[in-house]
Amino acid sequence: MTAILLAKLKHLLRNPWAFLGFTGICIVFALIMGLTGFESRSSVPIVIADEEVTGSSILTTLNDEESISFKEVEEDALIQSVKEGKAEVGAILNKDTYELIVGVESTTVSSVDNMIRQAYTEYGQRQKIIEHIGDLKQTENALQKEIDEASKNPVFSVTTSNFTTDQTMMYDPIYQYVFGFGLFFVIYTVAYNVLPMLIEKQEGVWDRLILSPVKKWKMYAGNMIYSFCIGYLQVLIIFSFFYFVFGVDFNGKFPETLLLLIPYVFTIVALSILLTAIVKNSQQFNAFITILAVCMAMVGGAYWPIEIVESNFLIAISKINPLTYGMEILHGVVNYGYSLEELFYPVSILLLMGTVMIGVGIHLMERRHI
Amino acid sequence: MLELVNISKKFKQTYAVKNMNMFMERGEIVGLLGPNGAGKSTAISIMSSLVEPTAGEVYFDNRSILKNPTSFRKVAGIVPQEIALYEDLTAEENLRFFGRIYQIKGKQLQKRIEDVLQIIGLADRKKEVVKTYSGGMKRRLNIGVALLHEPELLIMDEPTVGIDAQSRKYILETVKQLNKEMNVTILYTSHYMEEVEYLCNRIYIMDKGNLIAAGTKEEINRILSGEKSIVIKASHLTNPFIYELKTYPLVNSVDVMDKQITVMVSKEVNLFKDLIAMADEANIELISVNIKTPTLEDVFLHLTGRALRD
Ligand SMILES: Nc1ncnc2c1ncn2[C@@H]1O[C@H](COP(=O)(O)OP(=O)(O)O)[C@@H](O)[C@H]1O
Ligand SMILES: [Mg+2]
Repeated sequence: MTAILLAKLKHLLRNPWAFLGFTGICIVFALIMGLTGFESRSSVPIVIADEEVTGSSILTTLNDEESISFKEVEEDALIQSVKEGKAEVGAILNKDTYELIVGVESTTVSSVDNMIRQAYTEYGQRQKIIEHIGDLKQTENALQKEIDEASKNPVFSVTTSNFTTDQTMMYDPIYQYVFGFGLFFVIYTVAYNVLPMLIEKQEGVWDRLILSPVKKWKMYAGNMIYSFCIGYLQVLIIFSFFYFVFGVDFNGKFPETLLLLIPYVFTIVALSILLTAIVKNSQQFNAFITILAVCMAMVGGAYWPIEIVESNFLIAISKINPLTYGMEILHGVVNYGYSLEELFYPVSILLLMGTVMIGVGIHLMERRHI
Repeated sequence: MLELVNISKKFKQTYAVKNMNMFMERGEIVGLLGPNGAGKSTAISIMSSLVEPTAGEVYFDNRSILKNPTSFRKVAGIVPQEIALYEDLTAEENLRFFGRIYQIKGKQLQKRIEDVLQIIGLADRKKEVVKTYSGGMKRRLNIGVALLHEPELLIMDEPTVGIDAQSRKYILETVKQLNKEMNVTILYTSHYMEEVEYLCNRIYIMDKGNLIAAGTKEEINRILSGEKSIVIKASHLTNPFIYELKTYPLVNSVDVMDKQITVMVSKEVNLFKDLIAMADEANIELISVNIKTPTLEDVFLHLTGRALRD
């Protein structure tokens, strides 16, 4: 078995490009998507054109917004960044009015407009109330009470909601992309390292091993262990890259995350073995794995959060998709703070799936004698 | 040493090998000859314990290899028809890998590697990656790997297909040498008549899953003994001419291929004059007429009505 692993390792060292390529692409994709994700969520530049705005409730209201962060800048900088398209919209805040500088018309613009208008309206209301009751010499406290009362029972109310402010899905999008792309690309890496088994069977190398004193289970084990290690190495590199280089802290759960990748990679190895047993040749294998990986990624929530998938059919499919559970485990441990019991379910499903697929796969291969 | 008894192998509806009987004694080079698709590789897979036959038994020193493959595998070396090597390892690394797989270790492994490289003539190219080898060099290494564990019996499946004449000659000499100097028993499979004729004492001829002839070279040639073949090439052929030939009293058999006719006649018959006359009559222009003693190729043609090479 050591001989098999050594030979594979030599092969990798001589042809490292596929492995490095997939790893690199994965990091770059996650990085680009993660960073652009940040941008659209945040940063609308504002210029404060009147001293009075600074201490007013306008700013505090705007700063309370969760989906957009307003950043104070100089007027020049604001115009510059709208011009260059870095910001879709900017706002200049005066005492009684505001001015929007719009780069492109978009939903962001109208929601920013709404937010600022609301902030001004509230501010205006407060001012009016203070003016009206100023003569009555009421205490500040009572006044505050009245205002609160008024805001609890408003004359009319507007409810705004959009999905990025949905509380259940509030996490840093960088995790979505690191997890998603990591789990997606590892399918290719593992599959392309299981594929040689099929080729060796067709070319007769496998027969040579069968004729040798090496036990058959060792031949399978050697191949699977190698594929597992190479797949695991890849996610290890990717996750470490984000952890050490970009300071993505995995909410303090980095070691747990790495540990919990094991069942997923194992299941992908098993899936590749099963696929090897079903296909007739390596062309079929390549075609299959390409389609399968993309489908798994789409349905399993690698490209976008699984929560936005609504079709019952797709949800049903996602239940037999290892990637779904892989994502669930990672999000669970990093973003939702799952307990051990909560993690136990997806982990054991993955292990069960893996064991069944390896069993069926090897059985099929042996029976077909390929 | 090795014996196949009533071996059959069925794939779906068709038999790749049908009722095959065969034996090999220690020290022999036995030839298995047949065109592509004859069932040679299937027969080899069965006799090397890789594939179970649909029916029949294979015995090695009177013990069934189907029931007990381990002891057989230890002393048998198989050279597969495909190049079964790691393309991105060097010759030396390939040998080391398969040597380890055969549990040869340390100094002994190093010695075996050197010896094998010497035998297959790749000692000076051992550090080069197999990918960069010519077809002939790959074939030689393919043989070398099967020699590592010093097998008593070497089963070779078409070891010379698709290579240059020089490598082919080298391989044929190596096979002879292995047999003579190291006393390796060899089964040599090929669809090249002249290779088998050159190497082997005994020959089996297969076609469409059936053994159609078996025996020593002399015995097989005796199938056509007392005969000679006349090979006629013509610009074109007509049916009346062929009919005429076939019905001619002294002619034993006629095989037609493209614009070439092989006519078998008894040794003492002189057909030359009559032949010219017949061609004249049928308005056929003869390009050449060759008279020769029959070869294995003719035997095959005689038995199957087809040439060995397609
Ligand atoms: N695994 C298989 N499944 C189905 N048919 C096969 C298989 N292997 C060989 N055959 C068929 O059996 C016949 C003999 O093949 P083979 O033994 O490879 O011939 P040869 O080695 O003499 O060229 C061919 O017709 C081939 O198509
Ligand atoms: Mg063959």
